[in-house]
Amino acid sequence: MTSGLTRYVDVATRFQAREAAVPAWLARMRQEGLAHFARLGLPTTRDEAWKYTNVAPIADGAFAPVSSVRDAAELAAVVARLALPGPRLVFVDGRLAPELSSVEGLARGVSLKPLRDAWAEDGAWLAEELGQRALAAEHAFTALNAALLEDGAVLRLAPRALSETPVQLLFLSRGDAPVLASPRVLVVAGEGSEATLVETYASVTGGSGPTFTNAVTEVTLGDNASLKHYRLQSEGDSALHVGGLHVRQGRDSRFASHSFALGGALARTEVQVALMGEGADATLNGLYVGRGTQHLDQRTALDHAVPNCTSRELYKGVLDDRARGTFHGLVRVRQDAQHTDARQQNRNLLLSEHAQADTRPQLEIFADDVKCAHGAAVGRLDAQALFYLRSRGIPRAEAERLLTYAFARELVEAVPEGPVRASVEGLLAPRLPGAARTEVAA
Amino acid sequence: MALLSVRNLHARVGDKDILKGINLEVGAGEVHAIMGPNGSGKSTLASVLAGRDAYTVTQGEVLLDGKPILELAPEARAAEGVFLAFQYPVEIPGVGNLHFLRTALNAQRRVKGLEELDAMDFLQLAKEKSKLVQLDQAFMNRSVNEGFSGGEKKRNEVFQMAVLEPRLAILDETDSGLDIDALRTVAGGVNGLRSPQRAMVVITHYQRLLDYIVPDHVHVMAAGRIVRSGGRELALELEEKGYGWLGLDGARR
Repeated sequence: MTSGLTRYVDVATRFQAREAAVPAWLARMRQEGLAHFARLGLPTTRDEAWKYTNVAPIADGAFAPVSSVRDAAELAAVVARLALPGPRLVFVDGRLAPELSSVEGLARGVSLKPLRDAWAEDGAWLAEELGQRALAAEHAFTALNAALLEDGAVLRLAPRALSETPVQLLFLSRGDAPVLASPRVLVVAGEGSEATLVETYASVTGGSGPTFTNAVTEVTLGDNASLKHYRLQSEGDSALHVGGLHVRQGRDSRFASHSFALGGALARTEVQVALMGEGADATLNGLYVGRGTQHLDQRTALDHAVPNCTSRELYKGVLDDRARGTFHGLVRVRQDAQHTDARQQNRNLLLSEHAQADTRPQLEIFADDVKCAHGAAVGRLDAQALFYLRSRGIPRAEAERLLTYAFARELVEAVPEGPVRASVEGLLAPRLPGAARTEVAA
Repeated sequence: MALLSVRNLHARVGDKDILKGINLEVGAGEVHAIMGPNGSGKSTLASVLAGRDAYTVTQGEVLLDGKPILELAPEARAAEGVFLAFQYPVEIPGVGNLHFLRTALNAQRRVKGLEELDAMDFLQLAKEKSKLVQLDQAFMNRSVNEGFSGGEKKRNEVFQMAVLEPRLAILDETDSGLDIDALRTVAGGVNGLRSPQRAMVVITHYQRLLDYIVPDHVHVMAAGRIVRSGGRELALELEEKGYGWLGLDGARR
């Protein structure tokens, strides 16, 4: 592990020397990120937060950022398949691919910019906002992301701006070199504004080597603002992925996260939401579908800091072969957060003898007048239902697929009908039992 | 040749012998009723015929149109024309009733080398067949049996049978839990599906159902065997005298 840490420190140091032509505040943020990373070190399974997830594949890989986007044009077909109608920014191996991106059609008061443009044009503002939600001092991978900060996206909504068309950020990994991509996304939604953001992480067919994506998204919702956030992680079977989503909600704001973790050899998604204004409402939905030897790790933390907020959380896992899924969900209700209404559920479906699910729902309640419920379950396909379907002529594999989809369906249907739902269904179908077992890149 | 031949069938669940040598011949166009007290093995026979894997066949054979079926998976038996109307139809949340049935019909059609039905053609067929059991359109769009009353579940079973058009229909205590109106509807649906090409095995504890589905032959099961066979009058005799007069205690030994 030490050698892994040294290697990453070395990679980040060289990166910072190479990419030195940046504003002073950004250079400082990178340096601090590197210092925090070096201090925190890569997590081990001795760390409580990483008990079930061994990051050895990340520590052992020779991952490094690329210096430019190559052959972006050949990716046009992949982008065409994964892109949603509407404005989008496309990143290849962590770098913006301007020729594949288009920000046409943004609504009035909505600004979507590549991070580099934002630091050139709104540097003072960005310096104030970046790194406020995702704290480099507390998380090794957030620190590493800060140390390697170079590309990403900034979505900014003016007060009362309404973006009806989803805005998409498409992150592609090529996999023909051990690339480390460190995208950073910042969303700042002004008072009463409303938007939908889709982050899609996918691999490009053809590349077979491992890639490592270490993504960080920060969201600040003003009073009465609303954001629907979709995270579609469907990278190839050798991809490594750590993704953090850090949200701070103002008064009466509404945040809905729909996380679909479908791909990757090792993928961890962390969602942290701080409910900081009365009347705020958060929905956290998650579906993770693993097979082969995939390891999918979900960690959520909901922090009820003030009274009268609500949260609803539903995570479901479908695990086949030797796949392993872990869920850790923390709901913290602080002393002042009276009249909190929080519900959390985690349910897992094991399709094979060797698949494994670890579930740790956790409530920490310091207020006394609250409604909080949580539950967790791990089960198998219902034998009676399976026989019923087969007795009508449906072959076993198809029956298993039907029942598995039925289990997952609730989370798919939580996505309103339209292009995002279609995209989710398109990515999910090849991951369900009975689908071809070839490496599915997106 | 009989459509269904059950010969010396023995089956067990775990280490408990339940069927102890069943012999049954059912011809095309015939309706056979199997009656008997609880625990006599009636439902086990239905399950074994449909291929439920909780049961192990230890002896004997089952032929459908002369072809052995015990080695076949449940879905293969269904494609050969075996249909079991369940005593307790399973609720399957998240699977749409119509989607499930179209998947089933098309799976059977694929095996037979027939073209699959598209959604429109299937909907047309389903509408037509649903009239048979007066199944409301709303039920078709719900999840399979989810939240259905007992009567609705049984009507749904007969509706599925109408769509899948089996060679051999086995009705496992289709009358259980039904009030008289529901019973009439279900029986009316079943009668509508009687045909010279189809055989039916109606399993029931009570004679009541047989007032509406009039069988050609009646068999009485006890302790894993068929202890008496006769015409429809046997059912009436049972109604009058109960099972005691058959000397079933002897059969249990």
